[in-house]
Amino acid sequence: MNKTTFPLSRRTFLKTSLAAGAGAASLPLTSHAFMRPAAKYTRYNVMSPGGEKAIASYARAIKIMLNLPPTNPQNWFRNAFIHIFDCPHGNWWFYVWHRGFLGYFEQTIRNLSQDSTFAIPYWDWTTQPEIPPIMFNDVLTPVHEAFEPYTKNLAVFTSFIQPALKSYWNSLSAAQRNQLNIRGYPDFDSMWNDINGYSTSAKQGISGNMAYAITCGARYLSRDNPKFDAKTAYAVSPFIVNSGLYPTDFYNPDITLSFNSAKTPSHNSPPGQNSFSILEGYPHNKVHNYIGGVGPLDPGPYGNMTNFLSPVDPIFFLHHSNMDRLWDVWTRKQQSIGKPWLPGPQDMQVFAPEPFLFYVNSQGQYVGASVAGDYLSMERWDYQYEPGYPDTLETISRATNKSARPKIRGTVRANRATLAVPASAIQEHLASPAAASLVAAITLPHPGPTSPTREFDVLVGAPPGVTSVDVDSPYYAGTIAFFGNMAHAHGMAEATFAVPLPKKAEAFKLGAAAIANVDIRIVPAHGRGRAPALKAATIRAL
Amino acid sequence: MYTLVLTFLLLFQGAGAGRVVNLVLPRDLNANEVVWLEVKMGVVPRGAEIELETTDGKMLGVVSPHGVRAENEAGTYVFPVPPEAISNNRVAVRMTFSYAQKKRAPTSKEVKSLRLKITSQSR
Repeated sequence: MNKTTFPLSRRTFLKTSLAAGAGAASLPLTSHAFMRPAAKYTRYNVMSPGGEKAIASYARAIKIMLNLPPTNPQNWFRNAFIHIFDCPHGNWWFYVWHRGFLGYFEQTIRNLSQDSTFAIPYWDWTTQPEIPPIMFNDVLTPVHEAFEPYTKNLAVFTSFIQPALKSYWNSLSAAQRNQLNIRGYPDFDSMWNDINGYSTSAKQGISGNMAYAITCGARYLSRDNPKFDAKTAYAVSPFIVNSGLYPTDFYNPDITLSFNSAKTPSHNSPPGQNSFSILEGYPHNKVHNYIGGVGPLDPGPYGNMTNFLSPVDPIFFLHHSNMDRLWDVWTRKQQSIGKPWLPGPQDMQVFAPEPFLFYVNSQGQYVGASVAGDYLSMERWDYQYEPGYPDTLETISRATNKSARPKIRGTVRANRATLAVPASAIQEHLASPAAASLVAAITLPHPGPTSPTREFDVLVGAPPGVTSVDVDSPYYAGTIAFFGNMAHAHGMAEATFAVPLPKKAEAFKLGAAAIANVDIRIVPAHGRGRAPALKAATIRAL
Repeated sequence: MYTLVLTFLLLFQGAGAGRVVNLVLPRDLNANEVVWLEVKMGVVPRGAEIELETTDGKMLGVVSPHGVRAENEAGTYVFPVPPEAISNNRVAVRMTFSYAQKKRAPTSKEVKSLRLKITSQSR
């Protein structure tokens, strides 16, 4: 398949994040960043031609899933029950759990639709503050007649799904049951109370608490009334979204400084006293609730999106694809300003091993034991996003973008780039206690499919005789690594990588002059193979 | 990097369906600082929302709990406060409890606390 590289889709991540599940305690968490220029799959904006094509495949697969028996974990409603059993809200596993949920779901749709290019489109509600028209077509809305055999009333829904669910419940492992206990589901009936809205304290059903939604009321917004109200539109406005992308900590106890919601003992801990991040607490929640009819339909019953069976509404996955995209935007913003994009070392030891035990894979098999660290990276699913709001990272990078200095372009000769950098910028870079303020953009060709190496070290200011370094070398700036099957590299020309420059004086030839020459070279990592010809290099002072 | 938790609630005023809370910053804002409104929620029914706006009707946000099991507290939420909502180091916030097509002032069990926080952007 063709690959498209989007300017904003390159991303770096901790090499070791992929190994997080294997043993968080062993995670080296120094910033050893490297990038991949393009992914195999692209999650398109639903309003784009690529998005429309994907939606057609999505609809095909939904029909298949609706018609599967309830004993099949890929049945459309059974898939939604994964969310009932396991979804975290109001804690720092919100993004990563949903990345795993969407990842497996995307593979399921790819498999069932037989569209080998399928990736979940995203709904960019900041630029499109209304349900996309295509999502009122056919089975893309849960009010469609195809849902009626299963959801036309609660009795029908119960008789359809409950026997299979009880059987599944009785098959759960002790570890799964322990998680359900934490969630407040010590037995099947307590879980089912969230489906039918029964309150044990009030000893009566409360319509607004009912996760089940009757077919005709499964979504409040309609083709004739697709737009957000003013308050929901505000929740998805650039001002709010930018504010949510602004924090520079993956997690901070001060929620105004935290990209993620609160740290809790378990991803199943109820929100209770916890703090919601701006993006989860505001656009995420408000869009969910308004689509279900919170406000206009008070006091309920509401449509699916308001409650825990929200994945019954196909718009759920487009909404969460956009949330995941914003996580990716935030990650790349962090990289662009030289800030960490993963939990700190101690936090990672708590974050990564959290067990996620309820996923179902593309073959309809239970995934079994997996952990949060397995889903930190988008590379696991090999996807990227077509650009959406914000279209530049600058709007959300103001924290460190105090000087907005222009790029410095280097000259390349004999595989060495030389860049004339103001000495004051280098001094500031060396003096800054935390993140790198000098970041290079290095362009090199993708190694071919027969290349023995796909990882290359970036050297800054290294003497000519130095051809390999370790991470302690003052000249070492990081390792660029190309990911994926190298057979996919055919036809890919060049890739550009952002590399924070080392904070070692030896890497820079600072003298009395106002301008210092900075040399950059690429050498094969691990001492194997040859380095590709360096194409271009620039440096920007952040 | 630093964060200051400042604030305080001077008085409640009944006004229309909601309740007006006057929050005060104890000092002038410095350059590169932003103000946040933190809302700590208690237990509210599914579908209930807390609308937050200035007294001249500028929206600050809506707390719309989602993913909270029935009869559990709804958590804590923060909203950015636009500079134009701050006047003489004060932010007057009207809180309105909205549920079942009716609006009223929230009780102290529904909204447990409200405060301003100041965060430096120069981190």
